[in-house]
Amino acid sequence: MKPLAFAARSLRREFRHAEMMTLAAALMLAVAALTAVATLASRVERALIASAAELIGGDLGVNANRPLPAAFADEAHTLGLATSVVADFSSMAFTGEQSKLCEVRAGDPAFPLRGTLTTIDAQGREQPVHAPSAGTIYADHAVFVALGVSIGARVQLGGGEFTLAGEIGKTPDSGNPFRLAPRVLMNLADAQASGMLAVGSRVRYRLLVAGEERAVTAFAAWVKPHLPAGVEILTAQDAQQNLRGAFERGESFLRLTALLAALLSGVAVALAAQRFARRKVEEIALLRCLGANRAEILIVLLLELALLALPACIAGVALGLGLQQVVLGMAEDLLPGTAPRLTFAPPLTAFVVGFAVLLGFALPPLLRLRDVAPMRVFRHDVGARVRRFDALYLLPLAVGAVLIAFGAGNLRLAATLGAGFVGVGALTFVLGLALLALVRMAAARLRGTWRFGLANLARRRALSLVQAGALALSLTALALLGVIGPSLLERWRADLPPDTPNWFLINLQTEQLDALGERLHALRATNLNTLPLAVGKLVAINGRTPKPEDYPDRRAATWINGETRLSWSAQLPAANKLLQGRWFDGRDTQPALSVDRMWSDMFHLKLGDTLTLKIGEQDITATIISIRDVDWDSFRANFFLMLDPATGANLPHSHVASFHLDGDASTPLAALSRDYPNLSLIDLNALLDRIRDIVNRVTQAITWVLGFSLLAGVLVLLAALAATADERRFEAALLRTLGAHRAQLTVAVLTEFCALGLLSGMIAVAGSAALGGALAHGVFHMSGYTPPLAPLAGIVALAAAIVACAGWLGTLRIARSAPIAVLRRG
Amino acid sequence: MNESTSIALSARQISKIVDGPDGCLTLLDGITLDVVRAESLAIVGASGSGKTTLLGLLAGLDRPSGGSITLAGTCLDALDEEARARLRRRLVGFVFQSFHLLPALNAQENVMLPLELEGRRDARERADDALARVGLSARCHHYPHQLSGGEQQRVALARAFVHGPEILFADEPTGNLDERTGAAIGDLLFALNREHATTLILVTHDRALAARCARHLRLHEGRIA
Repeated sequence: MKPLAFAARSLRREFRHAEMMTLAAALMLAVAALTAVATLASRVERALIASAAELIGGDLGVNANRPLPAAFADEAHTLGLATSVVADFSSMAFTGEQSKLCEVRAGDPAFPLRGTLTTIDAQGREQPVHAPSAGTIYADHAVFVALGVSIGARVQLGGGEFTLAGEIGKTPDSGNPFRLAPRVLMNLADAQASGMLAVGSRVRYRLLVAGEERAVTAFAAWVKPHLPAGVEILTAQDAQQNLRGAFERGESFLRLTALLAALLSGVAVALAAQRFARRKVEEIALLRCLGANRAEILIVLLLELALLALPACIAGVALGLGLQQVVLGMAEDLLPGTAPRLTFAPPLTAFVVGFAVLLGFALPPLLRLRDVAPMRVFRHDVGARVRRFDALYLLPLAVGAVLIAFGAGNLRLAATLGAGFVGVGALTFVLGLALLALVRMAAARLRGTWRFGLANLARRRALSLVQAGALALSLTALALLGVIGPSLLERWRADLPPDTPNWFLINLQTEQLDALGERLHALRATNLNTLPLAVGKLVAINGRTPKPEDYPDRRAATWINGETRLSWSAQLPAANKLLQGRWFDGRDTQPALSVDRMWSDMFHLKLGDTLTLKIGEQDITATIISIRDVDWDSFRANFFLMLDPATGANLPHSHVASFHLDGDASTPLAALSRDYPNLSLIDLNALLDRIRDIVNRVTQAITWVLGFSLLAGVLVLLAALAATADERRFEAALLRTLGAHRAQLTVAVLTEFCALGLLSGMIAVAGSAALGGALAHGVFHMSGYTPPLAPLAGIVALAAAIVACAGWLGTLRIARSAPIAVLRRG
Repeated sequence: MNESTSIALSARQISKIVDGPDGCLTLLDGITLDVVRAESLAIVGASGSGKTTLLGLLAGLDRPSGGSITLAGTCLDALDEEARARLRRRLVGFVFQSFHLLPALNAQENVMLPLELEGRRDARERADDALARVGLSARCHHYPHQLSGGEQQRVALARAFVHGPEILFADEPTGNLDERTGAAIGDLLFALNREHATTLILVTHDRALAARCARHLRLHEGRIA
């Protein structure tokens, strides 16, 4: 026997059979869904990362506390990247008698490489610009107010005098709310010429690069081994703490949708393969009878499968690419800037995953065909019994688990989804058995044709359980995509409510608190939150001086080398949650401390450990009595470290206030700034707008991906139902032969499928609600999320309707064809 | 009883033509026959002569390409599949070569099927009686895969007669059975036929079984030989 020729001939003939079409279609759909979702997700993700590049002014930054060697820029140029250098430092700005401490950014003419820098001219017009030309500076509105000047004024900065050419509008990297002073932008050459960057100045340098993604990756790879001490890489993703959460959530949502599409397809492939294997039994028995050995049979089956999969996967990739292009075309404004070009990785991965899904889900029933006894040619009952347990059936579970583990890219997401789907499977089995027993008892006592449908369901217990399980899993995935996903997205949007604080006041003195509170009240400020603020330095952990190299988290170096801000409060501040220990209750006789989870993870801290902080001239050694989870996305003044109030009150400190003000508040706040010249007023509106914009873009993108996955899920669901259509068609034909009329068949089928749909729908709703809660809490870190029960209840009804319709459509054909044709096919 | 009321089945010039790979294929051509009530007719002939096709047309399972069929006084020509199904449920019983029991149903439930379709309240009791009549009382709750070929065909016979049909169509009822079992099934079939005074139309290759029928119809290449 020539296996390839035999397999090809066999496939050519087999392809006329419905299950081969189903298998190929399910596979094609799976690969199409995976390709479309993965390509779309990848392009949206890259577009969002590109948009994040706007935040740092380039695709990648290298931060250093001294000028970087020229080799860095040379390497970037060799790779075809554009570069720009900026230097950040603090300096006093003067005009006449007025002065203001400013945070200065000196940039070369190429700055920014990415994102937009705008200035507002004297007429209030906003225009995009690059770093100021020689002899000019741009400054924040607060500088204009503090110095009492307007555009065109001459301002002294460092050793030089510059013309104030514009007010800073938008600027990349505007996101640090705790900047202590307003910003000034100047020309890098001016800064060098005026001696502001002289040795000994506290200057932070940043080399920015931008260009082709591949070149940026190559540059990052080159930079890493060449990094001198104190130099770090800044990528778009870790540009801003506040935005990182948004990206991670977006990425998790996208991964979730792609993963569910793949699992749904696996279910359909498994059902179609089961059907294919059942039909192949007679052929294999004959081949065995004619002398084919098991290895030959296995090779032929695998070749047949491969010959089927290859064109199906190729067609799937083409279809998927086409579909994602259509989606992108329909949502042109979805992506910031132009859509990133197509890469081969997602379609190639989809192609490979398609094969893995086919092999993982289709192999078990096909491998069992090796065991078909040649005697079956003579006696059909030989080997007809199904073994109750077969280790082969663990293969799809293993493939599913690997898909989840690799596809999720997040252990928590993988574990939640895996546990959720196993739970749904177990619930189907237990609840299904109980309900089928009830149905059996009820059906025996009832009359009419719908009794026949119910009895059918109960009589075919194993098949009903398998179908209910497949449907429940599919519907769970659909409910997650269709109801839970959007509601999580809505909840995410609501994370930034309209009264989110959009202004910060820092350097507020204790004696100014009451008067300032009244001024803000008069301005109709809402959500006012004031906390004391002290600045200290971490000097010891459990009595030992911490060293950056002792901690794998590179952020630790920032806190060990730099300053840290801390606060205190008698009550646990809003947006904080106690994870361990207790809040300060006045019982502490020694200094006590509460630390944020990120700090406790980063420095491996636990309750009872001590931290020594140098605050002013004092060294305070405080014992950790609680660990908190802080919602850093809340835009309130939050702190990694909080002291007990009794200790804090004796420390030198100022206050920080956050509040929300509607509309254009620049005029009243300028008056406030003039009356309290020591205050620094920080406008968070630009950052808030940027975050809202990103959240909106991500949610729009995900809605598209969700919609497509949902469609794929519905199609796979129908394919899964069609997998048992042959048996039902035969039964229907037999019933027709015995005289059943169409209404009886319809009622029986609808009753059976409605019950099946209701059973699987109820399980899916319970499963998806539980999974939604677990995802919201454990993966997306959203507190107080309640799954939307009304739309979920709708899913039950919809499931029953869809399943009943699919079942009805499946048997509709029998009414059009003569029953004898079906019976003859047997 | 005059002749017209005693006719159980009548076929006039029926033909069946299907599309084949090389054009139209004539399976049956110009078949005309009458079967009177309680008569037993054996349709015999070589494989491919059109026996099963003719049986299917006579039973109203398929439509002829031409000609006319009257079953128990009702002309099938104008009836759609729906109406033909109603007629079959009331008047017709079937026995197949491959038994065609529903594998998910046990013996009792398989026999109950025609009665359930009629909405009979006593379906279970009558099915038990029918199974007792074919000697399978003890196997009521066995599923088809737990029964031998002969037992499956006895269940099929119980199902065919349980609702008291006027006409029984049997397609190679002993074709899948050994000689001894086939003979026993043949005995049972004719015994039940006598008890219920049913008209029997039988397709078979089994000469002994055909010999027990009152009349033979031999087909050759779709025509009456």
